[in-house]
Amino acid sequence: MASGEQASTSSADKQLDVNILKEIAKKDLVNGAKTLVLDASLAGPLGLVTEVSLLKHHGVDKMFWLEPGPLTSSTNNIVYICRPRIKHVKIIADHIKRHAKESRKHNYTLLLVPRVSTLVSRILEEEGVLGDVTISSYNLQFIPIAEDVISLEHENTLRELWVDGDETIIYDSAQALLNVQRIFGHFPQIIGKGDYAQARRLATLLSRQNPKASNGSSPEPLSSSSSKIDSLIILDRRVDMITPLLTQLTYEGLVDELVGIKNCKSFNTTAGATSAPTASTSTTPAAIPVVAVKKDAKKKHHLTTATDPLFAELRDLNFSSVGKKLNQVARRLNEDYKTNLQGQTVAQLRDFVGKLGGLQTEHQALGLHTRLSELIVPLTRTDVFNKSLEIQQNLLASYEVTAQLNAIEDLIAQGADMQIVLRLLCLASLTAGGVKAKNLENIKREILQAYGYEYLPLLLSLSAPSLSVLFPNPLPPSTPSSVAALKYPFAQLRKSLRLLIDDNPEALDEVENDISFVYSGYAPISVRLVQCIAQKGGVISNPAEKEKASNEANSAGDQKKLSIGKVQAHPIVGWKGFEDVVSVIPGQTVEIVQKTSNNVVASGPLAALGSTTTTTVVFFLGGCTYTEIAALRWVGRQNKGRKFLVATTGIVSGASIIEGIAGIGQSAGPKTTAATV
Amino acid sequence: MVEMEHPTLTWQAMQEGNVFYRRQQCYSTPDKLPELGDYIIAGCRYGGPIALMRDNTKLTALGRSTPAVSKSQIQIYSPAGESLLTFSWDQGRIIRFGWTIEEKLAVLNEEGVYRLYDLQGDYEQFSLGSEAAELGIVDARIHDNGLVALTSTLTLLEVKGWEGVRPLTLANPGLSEPPHSWAVIPPDLNISRHVEVLLSVDATIHTVDNLESVDQRLSRGPFTHVSPSPNGKSLALLTFNGTLWVVSADFQRNMAEFDTSTVVGAEGPVRQVEWCGNDAILVTWHSLAVLVGPYGDTLHYPYYGSTFAITEMDGVRVIGQEVCDLIQKVPASSLSIFRPGSTSASAILFDAWESFNKKSPKADENIRSIKPELAKAVNECIDAAGQEWEPYWQRRLLNAAKFGRSFLDFHNPTDFVQMGQTLKVLNAVRFYEVGIPLTYTQYNYASPSRLITRLTSRNMHLLALRISAFLGLKPDAVLKHWACAKILKSRPTTTGTGKDAELSGDDDVCRTIVEKFEELGGSDVSYADIAKKAWEVGRGGLATKLLDHEPKGSDQVPLLLAMKEDRLALVKAVDSGDTDLVYHVLLHLHKRLPLGSFFRLLEDGGKTLAPATKLLEVYAREQNREMLRDFYYSDDRRVESAVLSLDEASRMQDQSSKIAAVKTAQKFFSEDKDRSFEAKVTDEYSRLLTIQQQLEGEADGKIKFFGSSLDETIRLCIVNGFSKRADKLKSDFKVPDKRFWYIKLYGLTESRDFEGLETFAKSKRSPIGYEAFVRHLVEKGYQKEAITYVARCDPPKRADLYIECGEWRMAGKECKDRNDKAKLDDLRKRAPNSLIQRELDQIATNMK
Repeated sequence: MASGEQASTSSADKQLDVNILKEIAKKDLVNGAKTLVLDASLAGPLGLVTEVSLLKHHGVDKMFWLEPGPLTSSTNNIVYICRPRIKHVKIIADHIKRHAKESRKHNYTLLLVPRVSTLVSRILEEEGVLGDVTISSYNLQFIPIAEDVISLEHENTLRELWVDGDETIIYDSAQALLNVQRIFGHFPQIIGKGDYAQARRLATLLSRQNPKASNGSSPEPLSSSSSKIDSLIILDRRVDMITPLLTQLTYEGLVDELVGIKNCKSFNTTAGATSAPTASTSTTPAAIPVVAVKKDAKKKHHLTTATDPLFAELRDLNFSSVGKKLNQVARRLNEDYKTNLQGQTVAQLRDFVGKLGGLQTEHQALGLHTRLSELIVPLTRTDVFNKSLEIQQNLLASYEVTAQLNAIEDLIAQGADMQIVLRLLCLASLTAGGVKAKNLENIKREILQAYGYEYLPLLLSLSAPSLSVLFPNPLPPSTPSSVAALKYPFAQLRKSLRLLIDDNPEALDEVENDISFVYSGYAPISVRLVQCIAQKGGVISNPAEKEKASNEANSAGDQKKLSIGKVQAHPIVGWKGFEDVVSVIPGQTVEIVQKTSNNVVASGPLAALGSTTTTTVVFFLGGCTYTEIAALRWVGRQNKGRKFLVATTGIVSGASIIEGIAGIGQSAGPKTTAATV
Repeated sequence: MVEMEHPTLTWQAMQEGNVFYRRQQCYSTPDKLPELGDYIIAGCRYGGPIALMRDNTKLTALGRSTPAVSKSQIQIYSPAGESLLTFSWDQGRIIRFGWTIEEKLAVLNEEGVYRLYDLQGDYEQFSLGSEAAELGIVDARIHDNGLVALTSTLTLLEVKGWEGVRPLTLANPGLSEPPHSWAVIPPDLNISRHVEVLLSVDATIHTVDNLESVDQRLSRGPFTHVSPSPNGKSLALLTFNGTLWVVSADFQRNMAEFDTSTVVGAEGPVRQVEWCGNDAILVTWHSLAVLVGPYGDTLHYPYYGSTFAITEMDGVRVIGQEVCDLIQKVPASSLSIFRPGSTSASAILFDAWESFNKKSPKADENIRSIKPELAKAVNECIDAAGQEWEPYWQRRLLNAAKFGRSFLDFHNPTDFVQMGQTLKVLNAVRFYEVGIPLTYTQYNYASPSRLITRLTSRNMHLLALRISAFLGLKPDAVLKHWACAKILKSRPTTTGTGKDAELSGDDDVCRTIVEKFEELGGSDVSYADIAKKAWEVGRGGLATKLLDHEPKGSDQVPLLLAMKEDRLALVKAVDSGDTDLVYHVLLHLHKRLPLGSFFRLLEDGGKTLAPATKLLEVYAREQNREMLRDFYYSDDRRVESAVLSLDEASRMQDQSSKIAAVKTAQKFFSEDKDRSFEAKVTDEYSRLLTIQQQLEGEADGKIKFFGSSLDETIRLCIVNGFSKRADKLKSDFKVPDKRFWYIKLYGLTESRDFEGLETFAKSKRSPIGYEAFVRHLVEKGYQKEAITYVARCDPPKRADLYIECGEWRMAGKECKDRNDKAKLDDLRKRAPNSLIQRELDQIATNMK
């Protein structure tokens, strides 16, 4: 188990400074507005780049959620900030029409994120209010949500792409990635894997727009390829639908699964006893002033390593080791307090007081995480939770599939959450290459009866060819062969990518020395694919094993600080060596070397300076889970000379995927987290 | 070698030999221009062309070189006398024409319509507005960046720039009759940065800007000519009795006065009063031009026939019948070198160089004598080279500079190199076939890129390209213009058979253009712009071909839409990946096409247009469901139709319409043989809704059943005591036993009907076992009630279950019964208090 400390300290100087993005995002927002009306789905992302005080500083008087119903504003100027969704625009049009009826005059400004859209102006035109609104854009792109993670914080990407077929997010991603290139230089290589040619599309969008931008009149010198970034890896979520369906078992992942993390903020009840207020926030009446939002903020915790050093250590641990770690920290803190208090002289006392601040933050952090763990532990002890874990593990091993289906039926009967049931069912279908038609029909019927017939469209979406995570086996004879080709070759991959590592006691060490620790024995396919590119050895065997010998030679209890045993990261050479494996996964494969004028020159010094650290950007189109991030961080620690920067359209979990596709939560407002699972 | 005329031969002295003016003949143009006196003329500054229109008030003999034309015709000549363009005017009477800064001819007629002609005869047309058209325009003044028009009601309208902006009305000068003469000081020469109009009214002058009209209270008028100086700081006014009066622009200072009636040889009225620099004025009569200096001294320049003078920034250009001259004050550097008897360092340097050429030892002596000033002398020679017209003298002066430079240790060669380059360019464009007599000063003032533009507007692409390359400018602008001109020139070939010929013509042109661009690296030229041009001249096919080379979708699509290339536009939009662009096309087409053909377009598109279809669905789902329904229906997409119906049902509040919507969905599913399962469940759905409706009726609306799931409905029945209905629902919907038992367990617990639960548990062997009973009851806090069920559970689990119910003693007893000592020890360790501990201990001892 590698230490989080090490990751954060070494990343501080070697990581690309993603805060530049933050600054840009902040600058764009500045305007002297008065009343701010926010699209609730943007409030979170916005909160990551700016503070309420800054908004106030720029003349924001009051803030409201963008919700149906009347809007009363005491100020002349009203500024709307929202994503260009039809639903939002209609609400705005409704506001304006109401105001017109009451003959109140306001100046309306509409800031669309991330760019202006024809669709919006068309709808405003159809509603007859286009003339009253000034439309402009607020280009909010990648938001740094951790020191090595940037996200577009776009919700529901999966539904948009694979159910609705709305490819807007691909274009927006391309723009955002181009922006990254503008700041850090060209991606020398783009490697990707993508079903439905989405990743392919994104890659072509990227490479097509490059020459245009590079020799254009743009002032920034774009022609140089980046010396900091060695490649961009694009993974389409369809390439690995299995991973997000599983229950995440790292600390951060589990908190997301059970408590919910939204835009880096987790809900947590301060006392642990009063969980009622959390529920009340989700039923806040229309247009609550920001004061109420601020009250919420007390209960919301911004989980960030910047202010919470403990979190850096905890977030990527398997939950089973979290208790131990907390215990360790508590002890250390206690000793720190004690030893410091023994200080006799004034100088010693002064030292102690100086350290006190740091100790207190740590103390607070410890308190927070202890409470969070307290909250989670009982949830992990429930029958349903353990049952579903068991089914997951069995399905991954393809062990007695029929029995697992019966177990799923039992879960339905017991009234388990729908998203849990559906995740398991989809998992069964994906791992076994489909569910027997008769069983499938039975389960589907039970689901509809138990949770409501209105979920029929959801089931249809899941089995639609574009998503095809739920299908009968054998496929009905009428299905076109193209659909049949989309069948996921899980059994084959399990072997070739070494996905499953036995969970028996002897293998436990092995688990800890592989990315599979994040799922207690299962290695996420997506991260294995990244390893196929960036750490080829890691796919075949555990890289950490080699170190063990030297590791033990060092102080046994100490964590491995050594960089001696670390292998120098190999250069990026595309999918080389894994072409066969990759080709069996549905979807096209991408390998583009971006030619730039000084490519040859750049490679010279790079080759000479073998020790320079480069960054590999991994972009998840369609979102990634916290566990995948944890696994990538782990991979990053195994080699020297390579860091990963995770870029994603958003953070997902199995629940958010299912709920997104079902359309739940779209209308439920900003706080969709179920505090009581 | 023929010795060239010495530069000083064109010089004439003024102010007792302190100031020299020179008349540089740029071109000789015998028999190229008509009698200028018969024409109204407008000249373009910066060595630009002149435009001529017959002055109808003058009599001309028929049958001369100019043919008689009834319509107004405007001819444009280059300063070298080459005819550049002739076009006739078919609109209302022309009031005024003049040149814009971009070398376009602005022609204004009495209806307030004005056109901007480029040198190829293409024009843009704008209007001063309907009000101006009704009033009528009587006069106008056109300057580089706009115009001021005088309406028939004697108000002034100003147009800023040449983009066709709406005219502004200036302050009303309150005139009762038209001014005797008037002039405009352009905005860039005014401190206020607004245009200022000078109107000669009675004896005085009114100055008018956009805010006010001020009477300057003069008494010497009226004036026949009002002429502001090139820097806008002074005015030259000519009174009716022939006095030329120069005042500062604010009328505060008298600067000079001169009586033109005393000029020898002057016949007839004064034709023009033009400035030469900012301190001399050229007054022209028929066949005479007189330069009046600041102290009233004069220089006479006789001409054959009428002349036309154009004020330039560094002199005045005079176009006569046979010559084109530039009259200017001799620049300081030239003066210093060439003035007879000059002892300046630069003159000595030039002399030294000549001596050197003659291999005379004087050269060395001379250089020695000016050593301290040599650098300045070199610079002056370079500068003077720029002021000379003849390449012969340019070269000599540059050589002198070079010679001087070799005696210097440090001298930055940039100026020297640049001057050489610039002179090469200037000499090229001064060539009579090009005919742009641009001076060095003018060239520096207007940038090189403007010169390129001027060349391309004359269709001199090769020269423009060479100059661009020579100066290291991007070739893009030239290439773009060239491509447009190419398209215009290459009419689709009519030889060959019909369509094929046109196609090959298009192909050829497209290929030529693309090849040329690739060869010359004009990668920044927008193909879309060129394609637009092609389309405008009716070459749709060519436009499409050119658009194929345009990499930016956002540039391709609008033009394709305008060209009504709907399918292609949509394909390109989809290709671009920009969904907003796709929406743009979709919404545009939806508006323009009939719905049927709109749908057909999408359906025929198949896979390539699939993303567009998807986007349309997204849009329609929110905004135009009617259309979406039609779309699915027309495309036979039953499943989507059904889903749409279900989606609508989920939004409906009214019960019967919701049931109806579900039934519609069921119908759609049943039409697809692969969807029998969906058809069956939607049928169940509608049945359930109907039953729920009935149930609500039976419960007098106190309980809300409608819209809840089947399980929820059964639960509600149980909780509210309709257990018969619950059983019926179970059998009707074939609910499996397991699930039903859980529902009933939950329901009975909720309603605290523990007796009912007991009977239910005994009704038959539980399919879910009894552990579930215990656990659920405990979870809900009914530990006591749970105890009874423990006995029915699996024996090994009983002990733990008892503990969950809080029954430690029972647990202990259970261990004893099963003789499970290990378990009992375990219990003893976990015991919560000493009382229980003791009891357990007792049991343990009993066991032994």
